[in-house]
Amino acid sequence: MGDLRTEEFVVNMGPVHPSTHGVCRLMLTMNGEQIVDAEPVIGYLHRAIEKICENRTYPQCIPMMDRFEYVTAMSTNELFCLATERLAEVEVPERAEYIRVIMLELNRIASHLIFYGTTAMDCGALTPFLWGLRERELIIDLFEETCGQRLTYNYFRIGGVANDLPIDFVPKCRSALDVIEGKMSDYTGILNNNPIWLARLKGIGTAEADHALAWGVTGPVLRACGVAHDLRKDDPYSIYDRFDFEVPIAQEGDCYARYLVRLEEIRQSIKIVRQALDGLPEGETRTKIKANFKPPAGEIYTRIENSRGEMGIYIQSNGDKKPLRVKLRGGSYNQLQFLPEIVRGKGYLIADLVAIFATFDVILPEVDR
Amino acid sequence: MGVLKSFVELIRGLGIAGKHLGRHAITIQYPEEKWTMPEKSRGIVVLLSDKETGELNCTACQLCMRACPTAAIDIDAPRGEDKKRYLARFEVDHMLCCFCGLCVEACNFCAIEMSTEYEFSTLNKSDLIWDKDKLQEMGRNVDYVDTRKKKEPKTPPEADAATKPAEAKPDVAPASTGDVNPETKAAEAKDATSTDTPSGDTGKEEDK
Repeated sequence: MGDLRTEEFVVNMGPVHPSTHGVCRLMLTMNGEQIVDAEPVIGYLHRAIEKICENRTYPQCIPMMDRFEYVTAMSTNELFCLATERLAEVEVPERAEYIRVIMLELNRIASHLIFYGTTAMDCGALTPFLWGLRERELIIDLFEETCGQRLTYNYFRIGGVANDLPIDFVPKCRSALDVIEGKMSDYTGILNNNPIWLARLKGIGTAEADHALAWGVTGPVLRACGVAHDLRKDDPYSIYDRFDFEVPIAQEGDCYARYLVRLEEIRQSIKIVRQALDGLPEGETRTKIKANFKPPAGEIYTRIENSRGEMGIYIQSNGDKKPLRVKLRGGSYNQLQFLPEIVRGKGYLIADLVAIFATFDVILPEVDR
Repeated sequence: MGVLKSFVELIRGLGIAGKHLGRHAITIQYPEEKWTMPEKSRGIVVLLSDKETGELNCTACQLCMRACPTAAIDIDAPRGEDKKRYLARFEVDHMLCCFCGLCVEACNFCAIEMSTEYEFSTLNKSDLIWDKDKLQEMGRNVDYVDTRKKKEPKTPPEADAATKPAEAKPDVAPASTGDVNPETKAAEAKDATSTDTPSGDTGKEEDK
């Protein structure tokens, strides 16, 4: 009996694991069932998008951006177009700005619906996953009718959008919003007071505001710690300063707070889309740019608020038709970096880590690029 | 007390889920039933033919080849005896195609279009590289609005522009859209191989 001893051991979670939302490998140092340390190993989904962009003309970069963060591809479109427009000082017509805001917010709702479904599925509840994807389908159908694709939209162009909205878009969009808003009570009703859901999320993965800020965490994860930081309010881009909406925050900083913040964001996005549909002006949707588009030499950093936090792009131009250097910043990268800080030494189980990872809403294409 | 409350909550959750029982299914039985794709849906790339003559609308200007971000389109357009370009080869590699639709946007002659067709899987990879004839055959079912035709009366000497593609180029291009600038035409005049190089490189990169 005297020979018995205990020691820490390493468990590899991933690279292919359903709860890692892509291909992420987590090297977990375990003490029995409890996690001592977690180390993310990234790069399995690296496609060198930044490098590919250096070999493409500016309009050709937009389809590449779709692949950068494909859950909210509209926001990556907006990011690149906005940066290039600021660099080349291209005016965007009023109607195009409204269409862009409608698309961005619909995409944010779709992304949060995926979050709602996958988080519940990672915690063992299958019904919300089917519900979340069912309502997301309404939005995806709208996108398909507008731009022709369901995931990689390639809809925004430098100086506007590719084409105008279909004739029946506005009534269809309104009815889709009504359906989603009506389902919100079902979403919260089935989970918010569910004892298993509460036991899995409440008090798990608590993050402090200072700690999160120090690690560059943004988006709903930061807002769940009580910091009302939203680039749509703090550094308004496009026409976001015209809309009336709130930035939902929570104080607890745990998994449950992050879940509540995201659900509230769906409601706020619905509010924004409704206002944009009401104010949608008539007119042009695209400013013509030269076929051989060359922005002036210079550099620019542009950031927007994505459903996962601050998403930024740095473009360096030397006046050629191709960018000299492109650097992308995704919110998921910082959140994945922050994950070991949350987990280390708290004695969480692997099941808790799955819940933390899911509520951080990390997606790996954004991390690896 | 806690146990009772939890039990009540679980029953309540079941009740909410139960409301959805008996609703009609939102799924369809795929191979038998098929979804009607929206008009704008971006499926496989096809070449359009003239509605009357049945000839390809393509004028071998190679704008689509230069617009393609993945170098999926490959065109051979040598000069014929009359010094005009003609379309010798037009290949679309559907393994490289990313269905972005930039080629359709670049075209000024209603020659290339994305059909709503999406079923084109094969057992053999080489069957995914489609040549001119196959692209034309697939394009025959595609209905399109011929914006090109309306422009033709403005250039009376070349009423038969559609059948003689190279001839139509210098006159029709500036008339159809304002954004075809001299630089594009200068690029067109360049040797096909020199413009092909940058996109050709990246195509190889992705193969690896």
